[in-house]
Amino acid sequence: MSLDRSFFVPLESPLHRLNPLTKLTFAFAMIIPAFLSVPRLAPALVIPIFIAVFAGKVQKQYLNLSLKLILPAILFMFVMQSVFLPIGETVIFQLGRFDVTQEAMQTAFLTISRIFVMVSSFAILLLTTHPGELMSDLTRRGLPPQFAYVINSTLQILPQMQAKAQTILSAQRSRGLDTESTFLKRVGAVVPLVGPLVFGSLVEVEERAIAIEARGFTSTRPKTFLRDVPDTRTDKIIRWLLLVFVILSLGGRIWLS
Amino acid sequence: MEVITQNAVYFVVVLALMALLFVWAYLTGRMQKEFSTMTWVLIPVAIAINLTIGQIVLVLKLPVYLDSIGTVLVGVICGPWAGALTGALANIIAGIILDPGWFPWFPVAAVIGATAGVMANIGYFKTWWKVVVTGFVIAIMATIVGTPISIIIFGGISASGSSLITAFLLETGRSLLAAVLTTNFIAEPLDKIATSLLAFAIIDGLSTRYLSRFPRGENAAVEKGQKQTELIIALVVVVLLILFGVYILPGITGG
Repeated sequence: MSLDRSFFVPLESPLHRLNPLTKLTFAFAMIIPAFLSVPRLAPALVIPIFIAVFAGKVQKQYLNLSLKLILPAILFMFVMQSVFLPIGETVIFQLGRFDVTQEAMQTAFLTISRIFVMVSSFAILLLTTHPGELMSDLTRRGLPPQFAYVINSTLQILPQMQAKAQTILSAQRSRGLDTESTFLKRVGAVVPLVGPLVFGSLVEVEERAIAIEARGFTSTRPKTFLRDVPDTRTDKIIRWLLLVFVILSLGGRIWLS
Repeated sequence: MEVITQNAVYFVVVLALMALLFVWAYLTGRMQKEFSTMTWVLIPVAIAINLTIGQIVLVLKLPVYLDSIGTVLVGVICGPWAGALTGALANIIAGIILDPGWFPWFPVAAVIGATAGVMANIGYFKTWWKVVVTGFVIAIMATIVGTPISIIIFGGISASGSSLITAFLLETGRSLLAAVLTTNFIAEPLDKIATSLLAFAIIDGLSTRYLSRFPRGENAAVEKGQKQTELIIALVVVVLLILFGVYILPGITGG
Protein backbone atom coordinates (compact mmCIF):
# COMPACT_ATOMS: atom_id res chain seq x y z
CA MET A 1 0.00 0.00 0.00
CA SER A 2 2.28 2.75 -1.07
CA LEU A 3 2.15 5.38 -3.73
CA ASP A 4 4.98 7.34 -5.19
CA ARG A 5 4.14 10.98 -4.93
CA SER A 6 4.67 11.53 -8.62
CA PHE A 7 6.61 10.15 -11.56
CA PHE A 8 8.96 13.16 -11.66
CA VAL A 9 12.68 12.36 -12.13
CA PRO A 10 14.95 15.30 -11.24
CA LEU A 11 17.55 15.39 -14.02
CA GLU A 12 19.32 17.89 -16.21
CA SER A 13 18.17 17.58 -19.84
CA PRO A 14 16.92 19.78 -22.69
CA LEU A 15 13.39 18.50 -22.04
CA HIS A 16 13.58 19.29 -18.32
CA ARG A 17 14.63 22.84 -19.17
CA LEU A 18 11.61 23.45 -21.42
CA ASN A 19 8.65 25.37 -20.09
CA PRO A 20 5.93 23.07 -18.60
CA LEU A 21 3.32 24.52 -20.97
CA THR A 22 5.46 23.49 -23.94
CA LYS A 23 5.55 19.91 -22.69
CA LEU A 24 1.79 19.97 -22.03
CA THR A 25 1.29 21.25 -25.59
CA PHE A 26 3.49 18.41 -26.83
CA ALA A 27 1.29 15.87 -25.03
CA PHE A 28 -1.88 17.26 -26.61
CA ALA A 29 -0.18 17.67 -30.00
CA MET A 30 0.38 13.91 -29.94
CA ILE A 31 -3.01 12.88 -28.52
CA ILE A 32 -5.31 15.01 -30.70
CA PRO A 33 -3.84 13.78 -34.04
CA ALA A 34 -3.68 10.19 -32.71
CA PHE A 35 -7.42 10.15 -32.15
CA LEU A 36 -8.73 12.57 -34.77
CA SER A 37 -6.36 12.42 -37.73
CA VAL A 38 -6.02 9.64 -40.34
CA PRO A 39 -5.70 6.21 -38.65
CA ARG A 40 -2.32 5.58 -40.32
CA LEU A 41 -0.77 8.46 -38.37
CA ALA A 42 -1.38 7.01 -34.89
CA PRO A 43 1.34 4.28 -34.93
CA ALA A 44 3.81 6.73 -36.54
CA LEU A 45 3.52 9.09 -33.57
CA VAL A 46 5.59 6.59 -31.58
CA ILE A 47 8.67 8.12 -33.31
CA PRO A 48 8.33 11.67 -31.88
CA ILE A 49 7.50 10.11 -28.51
CA PHE A 50 10.70 8.06 -28.47
CA ILE A 51 12.69 11.11 -29.57
CA ALA A 52 11.19 13.03 -26.64
CA VAL A 53 12.01 10.20 -24.22
CA PHE A 54 15.68 10.29 -25.28
CA ALA A 55 15.78 14.10 -25.27
CA GLY A 56 14.55 13.96 -21.67
CA LYS A 57 17.14 11.32 -20.72
CA VAL A 58 14.42 9.33 -18.97
CA GLN A 59 14.73 6.12 -21.07
CA LYS A 60 15.24 3.93 -18.01
CA GLN A 61 12.27 5.26 -16.06
CA TYR A 62 10.12 5.30 -19.20
CA LEU A 63 10.99 1.68 -19.99
CA ASN A 64 10.19 0.72 -16.42
CA LEU A 65 6.85 2.52 -16.61
CA SER A 66 6.02 0.93 -19.98
CA LEU A 67 6.76 -2.57 -18.75
CA LYS A 68 4.75 -2.06 -15.58
CA LEU A 69 1.76 0.00 -16.71
CA ILE A 70 1.41 0.45 -20.45
CA LEU A 71 2.48 -2.79 -22.14
CA PRO A 72 0.56 -5.34 -20.03
CA ALA A 73 -2.65 -3.36 -20.41
CA ILE A 74 -2.42 -2.77 -24.15
CA LEU A 75 -1.27 -6.31 -24.94
CA PHE A 76 -4.22 -7.70 -23.00
CA MET A 77 -6.54 -5.29 -24.84
CA PHE A 78 -5.06 -6.26 -28.20
CA VAL A 79 -5.65 -9.96 -27.63
CA MET A 80 -9.15 -9.47 -26.18
CA GLN A 81 -10.25 -7.14 -28.97
CA SER A 82 -8.80 -9.28 -31.78
CA VAL A 83 -10.63 -12.31 -30.47
CA PHE A 84 -13.94 -10.80 -29.42
CA LEU A 85 -14.72 -7.86 -31.73
CA PRO A 86 -17.51 -9.18 -33.96
CA ILE A 87 -16.39 -7.43 -37.15
CA GLY A 88 -14.71 -8.36 -40.41
CA GLU A 89 -14.88 -11.17 -42.94
CA THR A 90 -11.26 -12.23 -43.52
CA VAL A 91 -10.69 -14.95 -40.95
CA ILE A 92 -7.01 -15.37 -40.19
CA PHE A 93 -7.30 -18.24 -37.73
CA GLN A 94 -9.77 -19.69 -35.29
CA LEU A 95 -9.31 -19.87 -31.56
CA GLY A 96 -11.74 -22.41 -30.22
CA ARG A 97 -15.03 -21.14 -31.53
CA PHE A 98 -13.88 -17.53 -31.98
CA ASP A 99 -12.88 -16.13 -35.34
CA VAL A 100 -9.86 -13.84 -35.33
CA THR A 101 -10.38 -11.57 -38.34
CA GLN A 102 -7.98 -9.23 -40.04
CA GLU A 103 -10.37 -6.29 -39.55
CA ALA A 104 -10.67 -6.93 -35.81
CA MET A 105 -6.90 -7.08 -35.49
CA GLN A 106 -6.53 -3.82 -37.42
CA THR A 107 -9.10 -2.08 -35.20
CA ALA A 108 -7.43 -3.46 -32.09
CA PHE A 109 -4.01 -2.32 -33.31
CA LEU A 110 -5.32 1.20 -33.98
CA THR A 111 -6.90 1.38 -30.52
CA ILE A 112 -3.79 0.24 -28.69
CA SER A 113 -1.54 2.59 -30.71
CA ARG A 114 -3.77 5.48 -29.69
CA ILE A 115 -3.70 4.46 -26.05
CA PHE A 116 0.05 3.95 -26.19
CA VAL A 117 0.48 7.46 -27.61
CA MET A 118 -1.88 8.97 -25.04
CA VAL A 119 -0.40 7.32 -21.96
CA SER A 120 3.20 7.75 -23.17
CA SER A 121 2.90 11.44 -23.94
CA PHE A 122 1.41 12.11 -20.51
CA ALA A 123 4.11 9.93 -18.98
CA ILE A 124 6.82 12.05 -20.67
CA LEU A 125 5.21 15.22 -19.32
CA LEU A 126 5.04 13.77 -15.81
CA LEU A 127 8.54 12.27 -15.87
CA THR A 128 10.20 15.54 -16.85
CA THR A 129 8.00 18.11 -15.08
CA HIS A 130 7.50 18.66 -11.39
CA PRO A 131 3.72 18.93 -10.73
CA GLY A 132 4.28 22.04 -8.62
CA GLU A 133 6.19 23.73 -11.42
CA LEU A 134 3.46 22.90 -13.95
CA MET A 135 0.74 24.31 -11.68
CA SER A 136 2.80 27.40 -10.87
CA ASP A 137 3.34 28.10 -14.57
CA LEU A 138 -0.32 27.56 -15.43
CA THR A 139 -1.36 29.83 -12.56
CA ARG A 140 0.94 32.55 -13.87
CA ARG A 141 -0.88 32.22 -17.20
CA GLY A 142 -4.31 32.74 -15.66
CA LEU A 143 -5.48 29.47 -14.12
CA PRO A 144 -7.23 30.29 -10.80
CA PRO A 145 -4.67 29.77 -7.99
CA GLN A 146 -7.16 27.58 -6.12
CA PHE A 147 -6.53 24.80 -8.65
CA ALA A 148 -2.83 24.84 -7.90
CA TYR A 149 -3.70 24.73 -4.19
CA VAL A 150 -5.92 21.65 -4.68
CA ILE A 151 -3.34 19.71 -6.72
CA ASN A 152 -0.35 20.56 -4.53
CA SER A 153 -2.25 20.14 -1.30
CA THR A 154 -3.57 16.71 -2.33
CA LEU A 155 -0.07 15.53 -3.23
CA GLN A 156 1.00 16.52 0.30
CA ILE A 157 -2.03 15.12 2.15
CA LEU A 158 -2.04 11.74 0.35
CA PRO A 159 1.12 10.22 1.89
CA GLN A 160 0.01 11.34 5.36
CA MET A 161 -3.42 9.86 4.88
CA GLN A 162 -2.00 6.60 3.58
CA ALA A 163 0.26 6.34 6.60
CA LYS A 164 -2.81 6.94 8.76
CA ALA A 165 -4.78 4.27 6.87
CA GLN A 166 -1.96 1.80 7.44
CA THR A 167 -1.93 2.62 11.17
CA ILE A 168 -5.70 2.17 11.42
CA LEU A 169 -5.52 -1.12 9.52
CA SER A 170 -2.82 -2.48 11.85
CA ALA A 171 -4.60 -1.16 14.96
CA GLN A 172 -7.95 -2.70 14.03
CA ARG A 173 -6.31 -6.00 13.08
CA SER A 174 -4.53 -6.14 16.40
CA ARG A 175 -7.91 -5.66 18.09
CA GLY A 176 -9.10 -8.71 16.19
CA LEU A 177 -10.81 -7.16 13.14
CA ASP A 178 -11.17 -9.81 10.47
CA THR A 179 -9.98 -8.49 7.10
CA GLU A 180 -9.22 -11.78 5.36
CA SER A 181 -11.87 -14.44 5.91
CA THR A 182 -15.46 -14.64 4.60
CA PHE A 183 -17.06 -12.08 2.31
CA LEU A 184 -19.52 -10.80 4.93
CA LYS A 185 -16.75 -10.32 7.51
CA ARG A 186 -14.73 -8.33 4.96
CA VAL A 187 -17.75 -6.16 4.13
CA GLY A 188 -18.20 -5.61 7.85
CA ALA A 189 -14.60 -4.45 8.11
CA VAL A 190 -15.18 -1.44 5.82
CA VAL A 191 -16.82 0.77 8.45
CA PRO A 192 -14.25 0.37 11.27
CA LEU A 193 -11.48 1.10 8.76
CA VAL A 194 -13.10 3.97 6.87
CA GLY A 195 -14.76 5.70 9.84
CA PRO A 196 -11.70 6.74 11.88
CA LEU A 197 -9.79 7.71 8.73
CA VAL A 198 -12.49 9.97 7.32
CA PHE A 199 -13.62 11.66 10.52
CA GLY A 200 -10.04 12.29 11.55
CA SER A 201 -9.21 14.02 8.28
CA LEU A 202 -12.46 16.00 8.10
CA VAL A 203 -11.85 17.54 11.52
CA GLU A 204 -8.63 19.12 10.21
CA VAL A 205 -10.49 20.86 7.37
CA GLU A 206 -11.91 23.62 9.54
CA GLU A 207 -8.58 24.55 11.11
CA ARG A 208 -6.87 24.57 7.75
CA ALA A 209 -9.57 26.79 6.25
CA ILE A 210 -9.06 29.38 9.00
CA ALA A 211 -5.28 29.15 8.58
CA ILE A 212 -5.26 29.78 4.82
CA GLU A 213 -8.01 32.39 5.09
CA ALA A 214 -5.75 34.32 7.46
CA ARG A 215 -3.00 34.17 4.81
CA GLY A 216 -5.07 35.81 2.10
CA PHE A 217 -6.26 32.74 0.20
CA THR A 218 -9.37 34.49 -1.10
CA SER A 219 -7.61 37.77 -1.81
CA THR A 220 -8.18 38.93 -5.38
CA ARG A 221 -5.01 41.04 -5.55
CA PRO A 222 -2.33 39.83 -7.98
CA LYS A 223 -0.22 37.07 -6.47
CA THR A 224 3.55 36.74 -6.56
CA PHE A 225 5.36 33.47 -7.26
CA LEU A 226 7.96 31.66 -5.23
CA ARG A 227 9.27 29.72 -8.23
CA ASP A 228 10.20 31.52 -11.40
CA VAL A 229 9.53 29.27 -14.37
CA PRO A 230 11.46 30.42 -17.45
CA ASP A 231 9.68 30.73 -20.79
CA THR A 232 12.20 31.21 -23.60
CA ARG A 233 11.86 32.01 -27.29
CA THR A 234 12.62 28.36 -28.12
CA ASP A 235 9.54 27.39 -26.09
CA LYS A 236 7.35 29.76 -28.05
CA ILE A 237 8.70 28.48 -31.39
CA ILE A 238 8.16 24.84 -30.39
CA ARG A 239 4.60 25.57 -29.27
CA TRP A 240 3.79 27.26 -32.58
CA LEU A 241 5.31 24.36 -34.53
CA LEU A 242 3.25 21.87 -32.53
CA LEU A 243 0.11 23.90 -33.18
CA VAL A 244 0.85 23.92 -36.92
CA PHE A 245 1.38 20.14 -36.77
CA VAL A 246 -2.03 19.61 -35.11
CA ILE A 247 -3.79 21.83 -37.67
CA LEU A 248 -2.03 20.06 -40.57
CA SER A 249 -2.91 16.61 -39.23
CA LEU A 250 -6.58 17.55 -38.80
CA GLY A 251 -6.57 19.18 -42.25
CA GLY A 252 -5.09 15.95 -43.63
CA ARG A 253 -8.01 14.00 -42.24
CA ILE A 254 -10.56 16.27 -43.95
CA TRP A 255 -8.49 16.43 -47.15
CA LEU A 256 -8.14 12.65 -47.47
CA SER A 257 -11.74 11.70 -46.64
CA MET B 1 -16.68 2.62 -37.40
CA GLU B 2 -20.26 3.82 -37.79
CA VAL B 3 -20.93 3.34 -34.08
CA ILE B 4 -17.86 5.41 -33.31
CA THR B 5 -18.95 8.29 -35.54
CA GLN B 6 -22.42 8.27 -34.02
CA ASN B 7 -20.94 8.38 -30.57
CA ALA B 8 -18.66 11.25 -31.51
CA VAL B 9 -21.68 13.36 -32.52
CA TYR B 10 -23.46 12.45 -29.28
CA PHE B 11 -20.33 13.39 -27.35
CA VAL B 12 -20.04 16.82 -29.01
CA VAL B 13 -23.73 17.57 -28.29
CA VAL B 14 -23.25 16.65 -24.62
CA LEU B 15 -20.13 18.84 -24.40
CA ALA B 16 -22.03 21.79 -25.91
CA LEU B 17 -24.91 21.34 -23.43
CA MET B 18 -22.43 21.22 -20.55
CA ALA B 19 -20.75 24.39 -21.78
CA LEU B 20 -24.13 26.14 -21.88
CA LEU B 21 -24.93 24.95 -18.35
CA PHE B 22 -21.53 26.18 -17.22
CA VAL B 23 -22.07 29.68 -18.65
CA TRP B 24 -25.57 29.84 -17.12
CA ALA B 25 -24.35 28.81 -13.67
CA TYR B 26 -21.45 31.24 -13.88
CA LEU B 27 -23.54 34.21 -14.96
CA THR B 28 -26.24 33.63 -12.34
CA GLY B 29 -23.60 33.24 -9.63
CA ARG B 30 -24.77 29.75 -8.63
CA MET B 31 -21.34 28.35 -9.22
CA GLN B 32 -19.38 30.94 -7.27
CA LYS B 33 -21.61 30.43 -4.22
CA GLU B 34 -20.43 26.82 -3.92
CA PHE B 35 -16.73 27.66 -3.74
CA SER B 36 -16.08 29.04 -0.26
CA THR B 37 -12.72 28.59 1.45
CA MET B 38 -14.15 25.58 3.29
CA THR B 39 -14.96 23.99 -0.07
CA TRP B 40 -11.48 24.60 -1.44
CA VAL B 41 -9.94 23.05 1.66
CA LEU B 42 -12.34 20.09 1.65
CA ILE B 43 -11.61 19.17 -1.99
CA PRO B 44 -8.00 17.94 -1.46
CA VAL B 45 -9.09 15.99 1.61
CA ALA B 46 -11.95 14.44 -0.37
CA ILE B 47 -9.61 13.42 -3.20
CA ALA B 48 -7.21 11.85 -0.71
CA ILE B 49 -10.20 10.02 0.86
CA ASN B 50 -11.18 8.70 -2.58
CA LEU B 51 -7.77 7.25 -3.31
CA THR B 52 -7.04 5.95 0.20
CA ILE B 53 -10.41 4.21 0.59
CA GLY B 54 -9.98 2.79 -2.91
CA GLN B 55 -6.79 1.14 -1.65
CA ILE B 56 -8.35 -0.11 1.61
CA VAL B 57 -11.05 -1.79 -0.50
CA LEU B 58 -8.33 -3.42 -2.60
CA VAL B 59 -6.79 -4.82 0.59
CA LEU B 60 -10.21 -6.20 1.64
CA LYS B 61 -10.71 -7.74 -1.85
CA LEU B 62 -14.31 -6.58 -2.25
CA PRO B 63 -16.04 -6.59 -5.66
CA VAL B 64 -16.50 -2.79 -5.62
CA TYR B 65 -14.19 0.21 -6.06
CA LEU B 66 -15.67 2.73 -3.60
CA ASP B 67 -13.22 5.27 -5.02
CA SER B 68 -15.64 8.18 -5.21
CA ILE B 69 -16.88 8.55 -1.62
CA GLY B 70 -15.11 11.90 -1.24
CA THR B 71 -16.52 13.12 -4.54
CA VAL B 72 -20.10 12.29 -3.47
CA LEU B 73 -19.45 13.90 -0.08
CA VAL B 74 -18.34 17.20 -1.66
CA GLY B 75 -21.24 17.05 -4.15
CA VAL B 76 -23.74 16.75 -1.31
CA ILE B 77 -22.45 19.28 1.21
CA CYS B 78 -20.93 21.84 -1.19
CA GLY B 79 -22.97 21.53 -4.39
CA PRO B 80 -22.93 19.93 -7.85
CA TRP B 81 -20.22 22.14 -9.39
CA ALA B 82 -17.88 21.57 -6.48
CA GLY B 83 -18.63 17.84 -6.71
CA ALA B 84 -17.88 17.82 -10.43
CA LEU B 85 -14.60 19.66 -9.92
CA THR B 86 -13.60 17.23 -7.15
CA GLY B 87 -14.25 14.25 -9.40
CA ALA B 88 -12.34 15.71 -12.33
CA LEU B 89 -9.34 16.74 -10.21
CA ALA B 90 -9.35 13.37 -8.42
CA ASN B 91 -8.83 11.67 -11.76
CA ILE B 92 -6.11 14.11 -12.72
CA ILE B 93 -4.32 13.40 -9.43
CA ALA B 94 -4.69 9.65 -9.97
CA GLY B 95 -3.21 10.22 -13.43
CA ILE B 96 -0.26 12.10 -11.93
CA ILE B 97 0.61 9.53 -9.26
CA LEU B 98 -0.86 6.16 -10.31
CA ASP B 99 -1.32 5.73 -14.06
CA PRO B 100 -1.82 8.32 -16.84
CA GLY B 101 -4.56 5.99 -18.14
CA TRP B 102 -6.87 7.59 -15.56
CA PHE B 103 -7.00 10.97 -17.35
CA PRO B 104 -9.61 10.16 -20.03
CA TRP B 105 -12.13 9.02 -17.40
CA PHE B 106 -12.40 12.42 -15.72
CA PRO B 107 -15.86 13.23 -17.20
CA VAL B 108 -17.28 10.13 -15.49
CA ALA B 109 -15.89 11.18 -12.12
CA ALA B 110 -17.18 14.72 -12.70
CA VAL B 111 -20.68 13.54 -13.51
CA ILE B 112 -20.71 11.38 -10.36
CA GLY B 113 -20.03 14.45 -8.19
CA ALA B 114 -22.46 16.62 -10.14
CA THR B 115 -25.28 14.07 -9.95
CA ALA B 116 -24.75 13.60 -6.22
CA GLY B 117 -24.98 17.39 -5.82
CA VAL B 118 -28.15 17.76 -7.90
CA MET B 119 -29.86 14.85 -6.14
CA ALA B 120 -28.94 16.33 -2.76
CA ASN B 121 -30.27 19.74 -3.82
CA ILE B 122 -33.69 18.26 -4.56
CA GLY B 123 -33.65 16.56 -1.16
CA TYR B 124 -32.61 13.03 -2.13
CA PHE B 125 -29.83 12.63 0.40
CA LYS B 126 -31.81 12.73 3.61
CA THR B 127 -32.96 9.19 4.40
CA TRP B 128 -31.22 6.01 3.50
CA TRP B 129 -33.89 4.96 0.98
CA LYS B 130 -33.50 8.21 -0.90
CA VAL B 131 -29.74 7.68 -0.80
CA VAL B 132 -30.20 4.31 -2.51
CA VAL B 133 -32.18 6.08 -5.25
CA THR B 134 -29.41 8.67 -5.53
CA GLY B 135 -26.82 5.91 -5.83
CA PHE B 136 -28.83 4.31 -8.59
CA VAL B 137 -29.22 7.60 -10.50
CA ILE B 138 -25.47 8.21 -10.14
CA ALA B 139 -24.83 4.75 -11.61
CA ILE B 140 -27.09 5.50 -14.60
CA MET B 141 -25.36 8.83 -15.24
CA ALA B 142 -21.92 7.23 -14.90
CA THR B 143 -22.97 4.56 -17.39
CA ILE B 144 -24.26 7.13 -19.88
CA VAL B 145 -21.06 9.17 -19.73
CA GLY B 146 -18.66 6.24 -19.36
CA THR B 147 -19.88 4.15 -22.29
CA PRO B 148 -18.89 6.57 -25.10
CA ILE B 149 -15.48 7.12 -23.49
CA SER B 150 -14.99 3.39 -23.20
CA ILE B 151 -15.88 2.87 -26.87
CA ILE B 152 -14.18 5.88 -28.46
CA ILE B 153 -10.93 5.77 -26.51
CA PHE B 154 -10.57 2.16 -25.40
CA GLY B 155 -12.38 0.41 -28.25
CA GLY B 156 -15.01 -1.01 -25.87
CA ILE B 157 -12.82 -3.66 -24.29
CA SER B 158 -10.30 -2.35 -21.80
CA ALA B 159 -7.94 -4.10 -19.45
CA SER B 160 -10.39 -4.34 -16.54
CA GLY B 161 -12.05 -7.49 -15.29
CA SER B 162 -15.54 -6.42 -16.32
CA SER B 163 -14.37 -6.50 -19.97
CA LEU B 164 -14.89 -10.25 -19.79
CA ILE B 165 -18.65 -9.59 -19.50
CA THR B 166 -18.44 -7.30 -22.55
CA ALA B 167 -16.61 -10.01 -24.47
CA PHE B 168 -19.23 -12.57 -23.50
CA LEU B 169 -22.10 -10.28 -24.58
CA LEU B 170 -20.38 -9.56 -27.91
CA GLU B 171 -20.14 -13.29 -28.48
CA THR B 172 -23.90 -13.68 -27.91
CA GLY B 173 -24.41 -11.41 -30.90
CA ARG B 174 -25.01 -7.96 -29.36
CA SER B 175 -23.63 -4.77 -30.85
CA LEU B 176 -20.55 -3.17 -29.25
CA LEU B 177 -22.60 -0.26 -27.85
CA ALA B 178 -25.19 -2.60 -26.33
CA ALA B 179 -22.54 -4.86 -24.85
CA VAL B 180 -20.60 -2.00 -23.22
CA LEU B 181 -23.80 -0.35 -21.93
CA THR B 182 -25.00 -3.59 -20.39
CA THR B 183 -21.62 -4.30 -18.82
CA ASN B 184 -21.48 -0.87 -17.22
CA PHE B 185 -25.05 -1.22 -16.09
CA ILE B 186 -24.26 -4.53 -14.40
CA ALA B 187 -21.08 -3.25 -12.75
CA GLU B 188 -22.01 0.31 -11.71
CA PRO B 189 -25.18 0.27 -9.50
CA LEU B 190 -23.76 -1.91 -6.70
CA ASP B 191 -20.64 0.23 -6.46
CA LYS B 192 -22.42 3.57 -6.61
CA ILE B 193 -25.18 2.61 -4.16
CA ALA B 194 -22.56 1.36 -1.69
CA THR B 195 -20.55 4.57 -2.23
CA SER B 196 -23.60 6.76 -1.57
CA LEU B 197 -24.58 4.81 1.53
CA LEU B 198 -21.07 5.14 2.97
CA ALA B 199 -21.04 8.87 2.19
CA PHE B 200 -24.42 9.09 3.92
CA ALA B 201 -23.08 7.27 6.98
CA ILE B 202 -20.17 9.73 7.11
CA ILE B 203 -22.46 12.76 6.83
CA ASP B 204 -24.76 11.28 9.48
CA GLY B 205 -21.79 11.15 11.83
CA LEU B 206 -20.78 14.80 11.34
CA SER B 207 -22.17 17.48 13.62
CA THR B 208 -24.70 20.02 12.34
CA ARG B 209 -22.39 22.81 13.47
CA TYR B 210 -19.60 21.44 11.29
CA LEU B 211 -21.85 20.81 8.28
CA SER B 212 -23.34 24.30 8.42
CA ARG B 213 -19.90 25.74 7.62
CA PHE B 214 -20.24 24.36 4.07
CA PRO B 215 -22.25 26.07 1.29
CA ARG B 216 -24.96 23.40 1.19
CA GLY B 217 -24.73 21.85 4.62
CA GLU B 218 -28.54 21.90 4.88
CA ASN B 219 -28.70 19.21 2.16
CA ALA B 220 -27.36 16.77 4.65
CA ALA B 221 -29.89 17.38 7.45
CA VAL B 222 -30.96 13.80 8.08
CA GLU B 223 -34.72 13.27 8.36
CA LYS B 224 -35.71 10.88 11.08
CA GLY B 225 -38.81 8.78 11.70
CA GLN B 226 -40.93 8.95 8.56
CA LYS B 227 -41.55 5.26 8.24
CA GLN B 228 -44.58 5.54 5.95
CA THR B 229 -42.93 7.79 3.38
CA GLU B 230 -39.88 5.57 3.40
CA LEU B 231 -41.99 2.52 2.72
CA ILE B 232 -43.77 4.17 -0.21
CA ILE B 233 -40.49 5.36 -1.71
CA ALA B 234 -39.00 1.91 -1.22
CA LEU B 235 -41.88 0.32 -3.10
CA VAL B 236 -41.63 2.84 -5.93
CA VAL B 237 -37.90 2.21 -6.20
CA VAL B 238 -38.34 -1.53 -6.39
CA VAL B 239 -41.08 -1.19 -9.03
CA LEU B 240 -38.94 1.21 -11.07
CA LEU B 241 -35.95 -1.12 -10.88
CA ILE B 242 -38.04 -4.05 -12.07
CA LEU B 243 -39.56 -1.97 -14.90
CA PHE B 244 -36.10 -0.81 -15.89
CA GLY B 245 -34.80 -4.35 -15.89
CA VAL B 246 -37.72 -5.79 -17.81
CA TYR B 247 -38.46 -3.14 -20.43
CA ILE B 248 -35.73 -0.63 -20.91
CA LEU B 249 -32.61 -2.79 -20.89
CA PRO B 250 -33.79 -5.23 -23.60
CA GLY B 251 -34.99 -2.18 -25.55
CA ILE B 252 -31.51 -0.68 -25.54
CA THR B 253 -29.61 -3.87 -25.98
CA GLY B 254 -31.94 -5.53 -28.47
CA GLY B 255 -30.44 -3.62 -31.40
